[in-house]
Amino acid sequence: MSQRDPARRRIAILWIGTVVLVLASVGLAFREEALHQAAALQQAEAQTDVLAGSVGAALSFNDSSAMRQYLGALMRNPQVAAAGIYGENGQQLALLARPGADAPATLTGEKTLHAGGRVVVARPVIEQGQTLGYVYIETTPEGASAFVARHTGLVILTLLALLLLSFVTGSAARLTVANARLSEEIGARAAAEEALRQSQKLEALGQLTGGIAHDFNTLLQAIHGAFELILGRSADEKTVRRWARNGLEAAERGASLTRQLLAFSRQQKLEMKPLLVGETIEGMQDLLTRTLGPRVELILDLDNQPRVPVMSDVTQLELALMNLAVNARDAMPEGGRLTVRTRRVELSGDAVLQAGRYLQLQVIDTGEGMPLHVARRAFDPFFTTKAVGKGTGLGLAQVYGVARQAGGDARIASTPHGGTTVTMLFRAAETAAPDAEHETRASLETPGARSACVLLVDDDEAVRQVVRGGLEMRGFRVLEAGSGEAALALAAEHPEIAVIDYAMPGMDGAQTAEQLKRLLPQLPIILASGHSDTASIERALGGQATVLRKPFDIAKLSEIMTRMLRSGA
Amino acid sequence: MSVSLRHWRWAVALALAFTGPSAGAQGPPLELAVKAAYVAKFAPFVIWPPASFAAPTAPLVLCVQGDDPFDGILDRLTAGETVGAHPVIVRRLQRLDADSGCEIAYLAGSPVQSPDAALKAVEGLPVLTVTDADSGGGRGIVHLLLIGGRVRFTIDVAKAAQSHLGVSSKLLALAIKVKR
Repeated sequence: MSQRDPARRRIAILWIGTVVLVLASVGLAFREEALHQAAALQQAEAQTDVLAGSVGAALSFNDSSAMRQYLGALMRNPQVAAAGIYGENGQQLALLARPGADAPATLTGEKTLHAGGRVVVARPVIEQGQTLGYVYIETTPEGASAFVARHTGLVILTLLALLLLSFVTGSAARLTVANARLSEEIGARAAAEEALRQSQKLEALGQLTGGIAHDFNTLLQAIHGAFELILGRSADEKTVRRWARNGLEAAERGASLTRQLLAFSRQQKLEMKPLLVGETIEGMQDLLTRTLGPRVELILDLDNQPRVPVMSDVTQLELALMNLAVNARDAMPEGGRLTVRTRRVELSGDAVLQAGRYLQLQVIDTGEGMPLHVARRAFDPFFTTKAVGKGTGLGLAQVYGVARQAGGDARIASTPHGGTTVTMLFRAAETAAPDAEHETRASLETPGARSACVLLVDDDEAVRQVVRGGLEMRGFRVLEAGSGEAALALAAEHPEIAVIDYAMPGMDGAQTAEQLKRLLPQLPIILASGHSDTASIERALGGQATVLRKPFDIAKLSEIMTRMLRSGA
Repeated sequence: MSVSLRHWRWAVALALAFTGPSAGAQGPPLELAVKAAYVAKFAPFVIWPPASFAAPTAPLVLCVQGDDPFDGILDRLTAGETVGAHPVIVRRLQRLDADSGCEIAYLAGSPVQSPDAALKAVEGLPVLTVTDADSGGGRGIVHLLLIGGRVRFTIDVAKAAQSHLGVSSKLLALAIKVKR
């Protein structure tokens, strides 16, 4: 944090200042002591030199009274412990000494020494080249009180400065701690706000896409059915087949888009049940490998023990994985490696998620990656970096929706040329997962050999026509009704099964179904709805009808009808 | 002359001086020995004009005018001694005059020349004249006398200045009287 650094620097400077101050004080004390000793020595030497220079004649003429006079004058200085005059041969001629002084009995030569706080100086007395004798001065050792007195000032100043420094440093340290706490709190709050904004934005967009999906589904149903009809009835088989296939592919792309939109909007009826992500991935391995193509190596790194079930929708999870696989493939045009990894993780203190056990699903590619500003918007719906027509921008938004629906979150980490890692977190479910179900997909080519009478109720004539065409192609007999009232009127025809569109003006599908049930209690009913709120429909019908999510293909409808007729019989 | 012998000589002389009062009781020879030591020791404290010496190492001549009372003590005290670069030599002469070449002259007096006459002869010349109260007559630049049984001296600074001589203040400090 840039705000913290100056404070730290200030504290560092203060500490350095303290150390420097103490060192400087000690240095000054030593220097002062050395200067003091040098001065004491110099003083003693000067006094000795003066004595040596003055005492020549007295020494020469052995004038002991004159010598005593000289020495007496010196002894007035309380720092002089002893002063003496020695003859040419070193014999002591005159000596004045205080108690404790250590003057020698004989003295020759010159010396200067500093020991035990005393200074001892001896000098020869020379006149005109003649050495007449020697003089001696010894100073009193310095008392502890004098030493303390000399250094007290500096000690007090240093202590005051240290006190001041410690005070300033302490308050700076407290300031730093407070600042750090504040920065942390600001950071945490900003992260939480960012997370909240992200959720709100995506949920708002989800609401919007839910509405789009409803209208889109009706259209898709018509397109899908029309192409199917063409495929079945065309004389110019080759051309019609090609168009029909194109149409079907387009319709499936549209269906995929709406599925993504609805999953994203969280209003689609999701079959949330405990499932094992690892098993789902293993079941998809072939599909993933085909999606990725030969240039991309798929690595499954699954932590399946112990099994951690999560609450999710198998189809949506598969779709999420497919979306991630497609994105990864597109990010690795030159080939690469895709790793799908699952791990159990324990979260605590997460900005978005509650603390607890999660299953972490990571999809890691070695692709071109993306810059931060792109990664940040990657989960936004309709945000895409792909060329027009190549991507809807809903893939990662769907991934995000799946993870959120499972009580988790989706995150993306990417650096340019450093690959991308998408992490999905699923909250661990309390209940155990059943053994994996493998949904059987009905094939378009499966022929229906039914002759049952079907009551087809839809306000949209186009839809009615294509569904009718598809069902008749499979051998069903079809009674068409454009409204709920018309359908009730046709009850007299004894239809064996009813397929009712939910969203109709006037009497809606649920009401129609209810009325029909009164007339024909044994009639199996299929409600087709492009609307997302399938749960409320089933609730309204009390479980007496099967809800078929639009868009559906005719083969699937045919299969369900066959199953219902069989079980009803 | 060995160092030890020299030290022995000084020791004797100084012992005599130090024990002045008792020395006096033992008669004139001891008192004279002290006087001789004094005469021998003035030189380091006196400054002669440069012209007094012919060369830097020319001898410093200590003259005894008249009848030498020291009985050779002076010779022994000064033997081998130097003052600065000047070796000290002792010369005895009955008559002192301007050409005698003395730096220091102890005026003992003699029938030939009284101390006063000798003083007169070197008046104004750079000769440190030393007179003795015992010898009677006038006073030279340095005048020796006995006080309380001890040998003392006075110094006439004015006369020294007339003779172009400098006298060290250290010596003046020891004089019992300094005449200015």
